[in-house]
Amino acid sequence: MTSLRREPSLLFALLAVTGLVLVFIVYPQLRVILEPGGSGYIDFFAGQTWVRPLQNSLTVTALSTTTAVLLGFIYAYAMVYTDMPGKPFFRLIGILPLLSPPFVVAAAYILLFGPRGIITYSIFGQSPNILGLYGIWGVQTIAFFPFAYQLIADVLSRSDARLEQAARNLGAGPWQVFKSVTLPLTRPGLGAAILTTAIYVLEDFGNPALIGGLYVVLPTQAYGLISGFGELDAAAAVSTILLGLALVLYLGKLRLDGGRQYVTVSGKASSMPRPPVPRVVSWGAFVACSLCALIILLVFGVLFVSAITLHFPTNLIPTSEHFAYVGAHNLSLRNTLTYGVIAAVLSSVFALFAAFLVERGKWRGRRVLDFLLIMPAAVPGLFFGLGYVTAFNGTWLDDIDETGGLIITIALIFWNIPVGYQAAVAGLRQIDRTIDEAATSLGAGGLRMFREILMPMLGGSLRVGFTTTFVRAVTTLSLIIFLFTTQSVTATITIFQLVGDFNWGGAAAFTVADIGMAVIALLVIAILSRGRVSLGGARG
Amino acid sequence: MANSSQGGNPLQPPPLSQGRNPLQPPLSEVAHLSVRNITKRFGPAKAVDDVSFEIPRGSFATLLGPSGCGKTTTLRMIAGFYDPDEGDIILSGKRINELPAHRRGTAMVFQDYALFPHMTVRDNVGYGLRVQNASKEDRERRVEETLQFVGLGGLGGRWPSQLSGGQQQRVAVGRALVLRPEILLLDEPLSNLDAKLRVSLRWELRALQRQLKMTFVYVTHDQDEALSLSDWIAVMNAGKVEQAGTPWDIYYHPRTSFLADFVGAVNLVPGTVREVRGDEIVVAFGQRAVTVRKPAGLPLDAGRDVRLCVRPEALALRPPSADPDGIRLPGVVARRAFLGDLMRYWVTVDGREWIVDQQDPGAAADFDGPVTVAVKPERIHVIAEG
Repeated sequence: MTSLRREPSLLFALLAVTGLVLVFIVYPQLRVILEPGGSGYIDFFAGQTWVRPLQNSLTVTALSTTTAVLLGFIYAYAMVYTDMPGKPFFRLIGILPLLSPPFVVAAAYILLFGPRGIITYSIFGQSPNILGLYGIWGVQTIAFFPFAYQLIADVLSRSDARLEQAARNLGAGPWQVFKSVTLPLTRPGLGAAILTTAIYVLEDFGNPALIGGLYVVLPTQAYGLISGFGELDAAAAVSTILLGLALVLYLGKLRLDGGRQYVTVSGKASSMPRPPVPRVVSWGAFVACSLCALIILLVFGVLFVSAITLHFPTNLIPTSEHFAYVGAHNLSLRNTLTYGVIAAVLSSVFALFAAFLVERGKWRGRRVLDFLLIMPAAVPGLFFGLGYVTAFNGTWLDDIDETGGLIITIALIFWNIPVGYQAAVAGLRQIDRTIDEAATSLGAGGLRMFREILMPMLGGSLRVGFTTTFVRAVTTLSLIIFLFTTQSVTATITIFQLVGDFNWGGAAAFTVADIGMAVIALLVIAILSRGRVSLGGARG
Repeated sequence: MANSSQGGNPLQPPPLSQGRNPLQPPLSEVAHLSVRNITKRFGPAKAVDDVSFEIPRGSFATLLGPSGCGKTTTLRMIAGFYDPDEGDIILSGKRINELPAHRRGTAMVFQDYALFPHMTVRDNVGYGLRVQNASKEDRERRVEETLQFVGLGGLGGRWPSQLSGGQQQRVAVGRALVLRPEILLLDEPLSNLDAKLRVSLRWELRALQRQLKMTFVYVTHDQDEALSLSDWIAVMNAGKVEQAGTPWDIYYHPRTSFLADFVGAVNLVPGTVREVRGDEIVVAFGQRAVTVRKPAGLPLDAGRDVRLCVRPEALALRPPSADPDGIRLPGVVARRAFLGDLMRYWVTVDGREWIVDQQDPGAAADFDGPVTVAVKPERIHVIAEG
């Protein structure tokens, strides 16, 4: 890119991008942090209402992350290293949870193990109290281990098979190779995967909201303070604590992996085969994966059966009644689709252009813009949404936003920038600068070069941003929970409300429709891109 | 050069003065490209340090040097991708420092070709014309002409990934030439090709340049390439031009040991000036002395340390009993290597190894054990350094 001094159009573009980032990323967050004010914070911290939720959040994050990572690691190891049968099936099963709102696991859990659950009540005649820490722990383990699996499998599969072959060739056994070659080389990646999983767990709002009961964590406390008591200041203070924790985790992750945000979901093996592992390990892995897959199938199977039967589990007569209900109340699905597609297009293009300005530019301060564009990855959805409420409620944005859909779309665009941005930066780094120079020496200005040369070459990065933003639009609850109106309600909100009303059939049917939308979108993208789909994990 | 579009060949700039020996470009001719005292810093390091040279119009000029010597940086400053921190770049008498890359009349062929992978060959070549908003007919005509000219007729619909390395290289050349640049810049355009193709494309590039009579500025680290292609070579090292001149000068009259060593195999023998006799000097080396021509412009006084520089092919092997003209150095063959077109001997003379190349080993005598190394004094060049 030539210097900004010689190209005013680039300078203008940079100012526009910076302006948007300041208005829609920096300003709302500052508003939340500053909302309580000095005395507000003093009162809040003196009140000590935050101590319990903070402890709970830390406890549940530590527990759920540990078990989710453990399961995810076993699943990933099995997929990458063993030659167990059924890998395509397990791969598919591993993707499914990424396309669904994480909190549907809690819904399925209630259906299976709740007071009237199919296993607890119908089989064993028990009505246990499943609310609380153990419920959250179990549900989050199941909800987030597929994310841990994707992240860890990505790290493991990027480790160099040649080194492992070399170690085996020198006489090391499979376990020794893993311990002395694979693990040391993948440690930063694994660490980053663990911290990323921890962020997902920490910011999870839907699961604790559904089955936390009196076990309040930070996100549910913030939500309760607003929805129950209208205490914006206290909610802002709680959210700020949450943001602080997430930031710490995120900075740790950045130190470890430099900010890689997405994984490539594809069946492609590396060119060099990995050394074989003993048969018993393969079969052990197969059994473990089968159990994991069974649980996932149970979760989604229960939802699916609920969606097509009259009253699961007491009345299993097939019915289309629930889908008819969905059809009659399809506003939220239409909204999700509209906001998701618009946000996905704009977010991925904006991220790509911003990456171009930062990665190819030579101007001062681009490190700052770089940081601001990555930062939303560390911001819990609840905090981000709260920021938009605090910053834009009753302002010019409200005036032009008749349905409330605009603010949700904008929030989706900017909350999801980091994944597309990081993918674009990585993509740009793979394009030699001589390509830019070739275009420049042939007469193309910076903007034209971006549009005609770089953007078409960055289709992969663009798809990462698009896919992730769309999938998150379909799966996020926490970002939108403070933003929706009756006209801008989205599918996750509807599902959440229906579960709260114990309308299981409706909730299940909506979930199936919602996931179906994500699956179709992913399939379309997969077909268009001939099989390679990359995405950042869904976030609650 | 503004009216470069006239004339028969669409790519051809106006004719230059006739009857010039390509190996000896007249220095009196007005320089086409002048680089004056340019310096480029990257952080504290000077990538290019006060470099100056002049390139005559219509010549094939080469910047030669090891990697990191500043040759590519210099080329990129001429192209306008880097701004020099100091100094001027003057093309056809106009200072172009402030001009953006695409207004300079310089076109570039990149090392990795930098073809746009999402465009066909035709679109790659036509991209510059499209940016200039040339009409569709004009564009298509000129693209076809150019494709024919670089030998890619009929391949316009292919994608870059469907082409061989040599073909991609031609696309890169065509894409640069289609805009009728004043001067063509080439950044190691042959280095990604296999050895054989590299040599054959060398002659093609040279023929192309002769045909167009266009000024080429060529960057390479390959001294064979530089010697065989160029009218003029500047050898760069550590950000500075060590020596500039004809290939002949560079090869046989290098000014420094670095130069002598970089441009081909060489014997560099330390010696001391014993006496100066007008145009000749007597240099002592080991137990011996030789009388050679005094290099011009060098302050060589008696007692000064110098190096004798002799190319291996200037030496000949004779049987120990032979009595050839010139200087005779009795030695013993230490080892030898058969290189196909020549046999390379390492001969120990007075405890020092000399490299001797014997041409056409199939037709020559085979040496081993004691030999005589023969050299004519006029083939010895003196470098003024210890």
